[in-house]
Amino acid sequence: MFKILRDMLRYNIEFAIGFVLTLSIFLFALAHFWAPLPDTAIYLLPPDMPPSAQYWFGTTSRGQDVLWQMSSAIWNTMLFGLTVTVLSRLLAVAVGMLSGYLGGRWDQALMTLNDTMIALPNIPILLLVYFVMRDSMSWPVLAATAALLGWNYDARLIRSVTLSLRNREFTRHAVFAGMSVPQILVRQHLPYVMPVIFFTAMNNLIWAIGLEVTLSVLGFSDINRPTIGGMIYWANQHQAIIAGIWWWIAFPIIAVVLLFLGLFLLAISVNEYIDPRSRLSRMGA
Amino acid sequence: MLLKKLAAAAFAIAATVMPVAAQDFIAGIPREEALIIQGPAAQNAEWFNLWAPGGGASNNGLQQLTADTFWFINPDGTGDAAWTNALASDKPIYNEDFTEMTVKLKEGIYWSDGVEFTADDVVYTVQTQMANPGMGWSAPFTVNVESVEATDRNTVVFTLNAPNSRFHTLFTVRWNAAWIMPKHVFEQVEDPLTYNNNPPVSLSAYQLHSYDSAGNWVIWKLRDDWERTSIGMTLSEAPEVKYVVYRNAGNPDARVIEQMNHNLDVINDIAPEGMFTIARDAGENTKYWFPGFPFAHPDPTLPSVLFNHQREPFADKDVRWALALLIDIRSVSMGSYRGAANLAALSTPPTGTAITDYYVPMQDWLANFELDTGDGAIKPYDPTISEQIAALVKPQWGDSIPSDTEELKRMFGFGWWKQDPAAATALLQKAGFSKNGNQWLKPDGTPFTIKLMVEGDNIPTLARAGTIIAQQWSMEGIQTTVDVAGPTNGQRLGGGDFDVAIYWTVETWGGHPDLSFFLESYHSDFIKQPGETQPPRNLTRWEDERLDAIIEANRTVNFDSPEVAQLGMDYLKLAVEEMPFIPLMAYNKFAPFDTTYWTGYPSAADPYSASGPFWSNLRYMIVALKAAQ
Amino acid sequence: MDGFAKYLGRRLFQFFLVIFLGVSLAFLITNLSPVDPVEQSVALMTNFGATDPRSVELMRQALQELYGLQGSMLDQYLAFWGRVIRGDFGPSLSAFPTPVMSLIMSALPWTIGLLTLSLVITWTLGNLLGALAGYYRSNLLLKLSGAAVMALHPVPAYIIGLCLLLAFGFIWPILPISGGAQMNLQPGLTLDYLRSLIVHGTLPALTLVLVGLGSWFISMRSLVSNIVTDDHVVYAELGGVSSNKIFSQYVARNALLPQLTGLALSLGNVFGGAVITEFLFNYPGVGRLMIQGIYRGDYALVLGVTTISIIAVAVAVFIIDLIYPLIDPRVRLS
Repeated sequence: MFKILRDMLRYNIEFAIGFVLTLSIFLFALAHFWAPLPDTAIYLLPPDMPPSAQYWFGTTSRGQDVLWQMSSAIWNTMLFGLTVTVLSRLLAVAVGMLSGYLGGRWDQALMTLNDTMIALPNIPILLLVYFVMRDSMSWPVLAATAALLGWNYDARLIRSVTLSLRNREFTRHAVFAGMSVPQILVRQHLPYVMPVIFFTAMNNLIWAIGLEVTLSVLGFSDINRPTIGGMIYWANQHQAIIAGIWWWIAFPIIAVVLLFLGLFLLAISVNEYIDPRSRLSRMGA
Repeated sequence: MLLKKLAAAAFAIAATVMPVAAQDFIAGIPREEALIIQGPAAQNAEWFNLWAPGGGASNNGLQQLTADTFWFINPDGTGDAAWTNALASDKPIYNEDFTEMTVKLKEGIYWSDGVEFTADDVVYTVQTQMANPGMGWSAPFTVNVESVEATDRNTVVFTLNAPNSRFHTLFTVRWNAAWIMPKHVFEQVEDPLTYNNNPPVSLSAYQLHSYDSAGNWVIWKLRDDWERTSIGMTLSEAPEVKYVVYRNAGNPDARVIEQMNHNLDVINDIAPEGMFTIARDAGENTKYWFPGFPFAHPDPTLPSVLFNHQREPFADKDVRWALALLIDIRSVSMGSYRGAANLAALSTPPTGTAITDYYVPMQDWLANFELDTGDGAIKPYDPTISEQIAALVKPQWGDSIPSDTEELKRMFGFGWWKQDPAAATALLQKAGFSKNGNQWLKPDGTPFTIKLMVEGDNIPTLARAGTIIAQQWSMEGIQTTVDVAGPTNGQRLGGGDFDVAIYWTVETWGGHPDLSFFLESYHSDFIKQPGETQPPRNLTRWEDERLDAIIEANRTVNFDSPEVAQLGMDYLKLAVEEMPFIPLMAYNKFAPFDTTYWTGYPSAADPYSASGPFWSNLRYMIVALKAAQ
Repeated sequence: MDGFAKYLGRRLFQFFLVIFLGVSLAFLITNLSPVDPVEQSVALMTNFGATDPRSVELMRQALQELYGLQGSMLDQYLAFWGRVIRGDFGPSLSAFPTPVMSLIMSALPWTIGLLTLSLVITWTLGNLLGALAGYYRSNLLLKLSGAAVMALHPVPAYIIGLCLLLAFGFIWPILPISGGAQMNLQPGLTLDYLRSLIVHGTLPALTLVLVGLGSWFISMRSLVSNIVTDDHVVYAELGGVSSNKIFSQYVARNALLPQLTGLALSLGNVFGGAVITEFLFNYPGVGRLMIQGIYRGDYALVLGVTTISIIAVAVAVFIIDLIYPLIDPRVRLS
């Protein structure tokens, strides 16, 4: 495992950049455990200070250090996003591959469920679920709800890939060779589905974070817990952009963009590693 | 190749549409004849029936510009000047025991379709609404009115079911009131509840010009016969505002931008930072309630920390007082309003006549007020708060902050309670609480934690005040989390589904010392069981025999009697002793005016009219504005 | 043709099942909401005026009768199905007595126009750039545009919208930042009105395009870069087929399949995606209508918008399902 990592860092520049970006942002987020002040404390520092030697990323209108707020916010947002992504990937892969491979009634039943879920607009449903749950709506519950709403779109993509694989020669060969359904799905089809999973995971992560931001901007989240969306919520409450406190919004956005670029580069390079033919073509080229 | 084509297409589209951007802001209406006001997003744009539930479509200018009724109270006015006879020619005339009210009407007032307004319209208004439950003022009419009759063309006599010296307040506008219906229109209608009244006939100086079916804007036009209205007959020359445009100008950031682009003359509310941006970048062509900091207009509304008296341990007065003494009001003011708050220690908003009727005369009483903490008596009142706030905001605002203490009191409030953790500790111990490390335990040994409910985005300043108070309580050992209720806020407050909340449970006339506006509903007769919905406004469900006595006495006193202020003081003293809720400040609104096209807006120095876009009293401002060019 | 008829029948059945399950679920969730429309209306009407507490109880009873909220949940559910079939969602609670359907119908054209336009631009541009970037991997221009698109991609719609609003409404104020058309302009097929529509729609549409471009770009690029290494493409390259032909016939066509499915399915999300944008720019569409409905506890309206969106998406998926076998011959054989 370590050898693979070393090789990829050495030979694959995209992986190297992605790895460094993601790792640095992860370390930055990790740093919030050593923050000098609790991340929910307000008005302990002078408000509205622009970036300076003392406050690298400035302070908010609520008297918080943007640097440390961001550190906590990225951690919490990543935690939320990854929880949604992992949960929804499990659902999407299971439903998509089974549906595409088995076909017939199974396909119909699963896709009916899938299409029903797709047809439900996410945002209003999450808002309504929030109304129902209210005080008991913690972030893990929100993540679970989002995961339940966020798998179906990708399940269809995965299904459509599996659907075309099913009619390929090698699947028939595998069936004639006596491989069981799970064997065929995991050994034969999963490598083809893997890229889709990776890229849908990227999209899903972005979707989950967008969801977090949307709900927070509307005020429907735990505003006491720093997240990227929560920072934007409070910045809006103080009309930060209009008032010229740009650092309150700009730095979190830049951090998120860097994080996504890092993850994206990782995903495409890991994808190449998983799909050996793609690696071969690179060597040949 | 492709990119080139795309770029060419983009340029072509841009070239076609650019000229539009340079066109008039409103098609076909000269900008210098139109006053543009921040309006609501009307959900029911085709609905102009003020008397039936119509989705709150009335704030888009309908009630401000076309409706009329007997009397108006200027919430910012004082004394006799605050009272205006509109459709009525005089004040209400009650009989000896307040079971009959007679109203004399003005002559020469016409609906916009040329039909004359008479006492028959009034009788029709009351009878139709009593006959149609579900109409806006049906219930209060049903409860109060035994019969109504037009004894002649200009006289209406109401016979009441029971003595009520405040019956006329149903027809007295403070924001809104029971508006008079056009009999000749509604008697043609089968069901007044489902009739959309589109286009509406107007009883005031403006009438409907056009509207957006999507609800983003409504345009009102000055009536040709504006002189034949109650507001028009008081004017010596025609109002200069020919068109009034109510437009939904989007979120607070968009509102600031639109005003700085001169596309929005009157703003309802923005965050303090947006206000400061306008004052900094567009100071030359904008005006505010105060010429400099704190800028904001104080509404006669009292944001407070509300306790649910039906939930333990908030029924205990010592706990409530302890929580009040744990608040450092200076950081609440700085955090919520950046210092631009008008602080209130008394349970009535420090605006309008309340200053001279209550705040000034009660300063000595407040300064001498003693609180028994169980560990000796303290004098908690601090009359120097306004000077302390002034010192805090001086670094930012410099010389624009006056040094005269009397002026400072009017800007920042007369005083508040000193933060006193020692006294709070004594009070909590007196109430049976104990401290384990830095965590307070309730008498039953469980940790004392609080959920503090705020509405959120809709009123950012109060949400901010909530987070600061929560932090202060948490730091003193009472773990407090802020809970954003959003759209369920009103329902949860009414249903008693909260521990502690930041909201208001006191609103007043502003321009009159009478407190019945909210106090009447505080009678213990109206208190509901937990879970049932409390009628507005006693949201804390505070129950006290002494309070009932005050309310009952007030019912039998004439509206304009000097006894009214006396009873008001009794209530205010009781509220200090009991601390049923912790009054924080007046509801300050940052409402800058653009002076590029219009001048003569009301201000603290010249409070001739209300200035809030949704207040019906706004009409008196609109007709007084002068064109800038 | 027989096989196709069978396929069609299956899809039709599924289509109706989707609508049935979706509508039922939406009704259930909406009814679990603790927001009581009567209390909301009472609050609306008593918020500011002097109110006699004795009168409020009377008002409450009257409103309950008016809003038809009496009866068990099953009664309300059955009544709701009757309304769906008649295309009548009853009166809106917050805009009583205007029918929900007429509110939706006046907001729907705005949303359909805005979303169709931005979706077509986004899908075409995103896939074109993504496919080119996946095929011509070394082209510097494509790499740069890819980096730009990807950098924009994770930025939430609210921020992109707000930046556009600031840039073109404030710093360089050339575009309107609010509403769907110029005030006081008569709607109609006039040049002035069409121009006004385009001018007002530019910023919201641009927001949606910038937000959506990335996901199509990224997924298309990955699909294409995988297909490029497929055997049939390698054979074609070895066989000397021209690279333009390989790109359009061998690569793009195969990669478009999942992207076409994606287009149909993303329609369900556009209602959600449009909400913030419509809200920010005050655009008079269904998204804004829905947020207002939610804020006012108007469950008849929320339910109406949800149901319409369920039916609309189901129809779109159905149409794509019909087109699918025409493009992927392998499905026809199964």
